[in-house]
Amino acid sequence: MTCEIVERDLDAYIDRELDAGLATAVREHLSICTACRHRVAEREAIGRLIRSVPYYPAPDRLRANVVRATPRASMIHRVLPWAAAAVLVVSVGAGVTLMRPAARGSEATVDEVVNEHVRSMMAEHLFDVRSTDQHTVKPWFLGKLDFSPPVVDLAERGFPLVGGRLDYLGGRSVAALVYQRRQHTINVFVSPAADDRQTAADTRTARGFHVHHWTSGAMSFWAVSDLNDAELTEFVRALQTAQ
Amino acid sequence: MPQRVFADIVLPHLDAAYNYARWLTRNDSDAEDVVQDACVRAMRFFSSLRGDDARGWLFAIVRNTWYSRVSRKKEVVDPGPSALTGEERPDDALDPEERLLQKYAVARVRRALDGLPADAREVIVLRELEGLSYKEIAAVVNVPIGTVMSRLARARDRLTAVLTEPPSMERHR
Repeated sequence: MTCEIVERDLDAYIDRELDAGLATAVREHLSICTACRHRVAEREAIGRLIRSVPYYPAPDRLRANVVRATPRASMIHRVLPWAAAAVLVVSVGAGVTLMRPAARGSEATVDEVVNEHVRSMMAEHLFDVRSTDQHTVKPWFLGKLDFSPPVVDLAERGFPLVGGRLDYLGGRSVAALVYQRRQHTINVFVSPAADDRQTAADTRTARGFHVHHWTSGAMSFWAVSDLNDAELTEFVRALQTAQ
Repeated sequence: MPQRVFADIVLPHLDAAYNYARWLTRNDSDAEDVVQDACVRAMRFFSSLRGDDARGWLFAIVRNTWYSRVSRKKEVVDPGPSALTGEERPDDALDPEERLLQKYAVARVRRALDGLPADAREVIVLRELEGLSYKEIAAVVNVPIGTVMSRLARARDRLTAVLTEPPSMERHR
């Protein structure tokens, strides 16, 4: 591994887009080359600087206009047959969802998890307890749930805990822990698992959100965010090792 | 298409769509127009949404909307560095001096980003602010992954050069 190759793969390396073998080779070279280490550090510093720039949030007027423009009266005629079909699909879908808890203990579905995530962001009811301190968030759940969710702060790993709230998922009350990565919110739903088998993270994507599900220590975890999947995977690993 | 479904799928990504449009247009009112047009298009093409990546799908529509507006105007009008009209959210934890410094730093980084060519600017925004993977960026911009990588490298080289030189030199670029 030479400096030229590191330079060629510099961006893919810091973006974690390099395959494992090459990434290891780059890491090995970095451990012996001060100049390349300096280049990587500078590149990463530029990245942090750019990510510190706040979002341009959509103006309220735009949001209102878009809501107003969503199809209504003028579309009714064209939509009606579809709407009828949709109702049928929705009721069949609901049937499946309703049957599922009975069949599989009380497991939530990916769709429900995404719905709760979206609702928490839109209703601006992200927090019941707003704190970056795990020793404040954890006791807050005491007496509100029939279990005690594990609560860890991951600020050192770049995913600060920002709060928690009670939520409702898969037919029961669950703990929702809220973490932040840049402008992205990560919701983690925690509830007792149906049994105490450990399962590795199962990954899905729905409506532009990434969802990870796993069980550990007799608890069932759902992590959901619009964060890219590589970083969400990193978050899930950090959470699993911290517990 | 039932209204509820469209609203449920698109509205959660409206901030992201606006942020992206704002960086493409470098202007508040153009960004608003682009996103509004894009949402109308998105409604019309809602059935073309395959798979689950609604955010990437919306980004691609925003980008196409912006692009067709720009090419309709025949020439790319460069509005120069954008006025800092975006809502700044001051960090309450900082004292006034730190807040001022932070504001100054943010303004400087925004100016550096605005100074990039549009093709480099959009990949850096999609990567750093939206956290998209190379593959997702390639799909939005409709270029091969190799092109995404070379544009990212170019953007970062340029940003490194601009942001590491003394502020007084920057104005003459």
